[in-house]
Amino acid sequence: MQTLRFGPVSLAVHRRPLIAGVGLLALVALAAVAALLIGSYPITPGGIWQALTGRADAIPAMIVLDHRLPRILTAIGAGAALGLAGAMVQTMLRNPLAAPDIIGFTAGANAGALLAVLLTGGMILAGALAGGALAAMAVVALAWRGGLDTYRLILVGLGASLSLGAAADLLLSYTDENTAADMARWLTGTLHARGPAEVALVWGGLAMLAPIALWLGFPLARMTFSNDTVVGLGLPLAPLRLAVTALAVALVALAVSVAGPLPFVAFVSGPIARRLTGSGGPALPAAALTGATVTLGADLAARSIPMVQLPAGVFTAMVGAPVLVWLLWVQARKGRL
Amino acid sequence: MVPNGTKCRLRAEAISVDYPGRSVLDSLSLDIPAGKVTAIVGPNACGKSTLLRALARLTPVGSGQVSLDGQPIGKQRSRTVARQLAILPQSPLAPEGLTVLDLVRRGRTPHQSALRQWSRKDAEAVDRSLCLTGLKGMSFQSLATLSGGQRQRAWIAMALAQDTDLLLLDEPTTYLDLPHQIELLTLIRKLNHDTGRTVAMVLHDINLAARFADHMVALRDGRVRHQGAPAEVVNAEMMQDIFSLPCTVISDPVHGHPHVIPA
Repeated sequence: MQTLRFGPVSLAVHRRPLIAGVGLLALVALAAVAALLIGSYPITPGGIWQALTGRADAIPAMIVLDHRLPRILTAIGAGAALGLAGAMVQTMLRNPLAAPDIIGFTAGANAGALLAVLLTGGMILAGALAGGALAAMAVVALAWRGGLDTYRLILVGLGASLSLGAAADLLLSYTDENTAADMARWLTGTLHARGPAEVALVWGGLAMLAPIALWLGFPLARMTFSNDTVVGLGLPLAPLRLAVTALAVALVALAVSVAGPLPFVAFVSGPIARRLTGSGGPALPAAALTGATVTLGADLAARSIPMVQLPAGVFTAMVGAPVLVWLLWVQARKGRL
Repeated sequence: MVPNGTKCRLRAEAISVDYPGRSVLDSLSLDIPAGKVTAIVGPNACGKSTLLRALARLTPVGSGQVSLDGQPIGKQRSRTVARQLAILPQSPLAPEGLTVLDLVRRGRTPHQSALRQWSRKDAEAVDRSLCLTGLKGMSFQSLATLSGGQRQRAWIAMALAQDTDLLLLDEPTTYLDLPHQIELLTLIRKLNHDTGRTVAMVLHDINLAARFADHMVALRDGRVRHQGAPAEVVNAEMMQDIFSLPCTVISDPVHGHPHVIPA
């Protein structure tokens, strides 16, 4: 551990998380470059550069600036938001299975966003926020028995997640064909046809929420102990839990608003980041970068398959499902299931 | 009774704690004498653990109040309290893979913030408590690889790094064999002697409590029935009253402390 000191300010810097962070950042950059280059309309690296610096012809400029770039930036933003939210909730509940996309927050935000679009034709973020918050409150209230047992919460959340997913499917089936195509993102999550509005929304939201998340990372790293120890160390347990949950709901709602539910991104980011950084804590920056990498990689995979337009959510699920099986196996082996 | 003139920072004033269908502490009042080692003893389910937890604001009291420096502990900021008082709960859990050094560093939490993550004082306090507990050579070992006695010392080192005048320990000798119990209690005695810390701990073993404590508090059914220096408190009547155990109390031939021999 190294310490950076500026007057009364001191920051603890650990080497391995730093290396992991730089590596993940490079991976995101690499995937972004690949995503700029790959597509049905061939553009050379030189052409990409010209488009980015505003010296290209109208068609390549439009493809790079209006299609590929917004899609990449949305993927990074949504993935980072989901990664942060996942790592925060998993750390708070001391269980990798307790991720927002497993315990119903994401499904709630998704159903809320869909309902808002169907009823008002807009208000996506407001709908996602309301849906996510209601789902979180309902899950906590239903799992509450004079206290919160994490496994009961996970089971109740899993039920809520499935019910809300079914509700979203039902809502979709009531829409006409034209709107249904626009609504495809609420099925599994896709980054198809994202524009500057989505980029502004997700990055604006991240600019507000990510600093709060990183600030909460300090107490979160101590919430890995049992509650008695957390209180003994002078941390306000109940307000912290409320703040972490509220922030996670907001981050999930933000991601869902621009990209749909993108299954398993929130769930896989935390455990992968903790492995990479070798830390027992929340590893929030690494989790955000992992979320961005997984989402961008999934979208890249989705776009690389010729002829069909598969949503990115299919590929995040392909990454997530094996991790879920692995975590279940680890926990079962330890006798915790 | 607490000797006159002894200062006291932590005090329970007529506290009651009820669990559903059961009264655990019944209007209990107690002063923890400053600068001394206090042992809280009593039979199972007498409320001794609950008393310690209430003193450390881990368990809320139904009526009455716990006061720290004359102020109700529940009304003070938890962080301010954590700079005055450290509690080691019974069998605490640590996240997997944590090293001794990581654990002890966490003890500095009440002195830190997101912008003051590691001050020089933090480094000094951690170093001091690793030295005091003899864990300096094992800093980088994972907690899981330590023996029960070493692990318990690591938790105590964490509480010490918190740098508080008051140290509360809930059955710190549980699961330890006799040599490790003696080692740990000797360490606590030494900490009290060297640094003047006030210690209050729940202990099961009356003989060890009589040997290592300055002040003993005996509980039964959620009330304080006897308190004072071990030599005044531990006798056959008290053992009958608290534990309903017929016994003879002799003077320990080596140390001169009261020693209980069950009949």
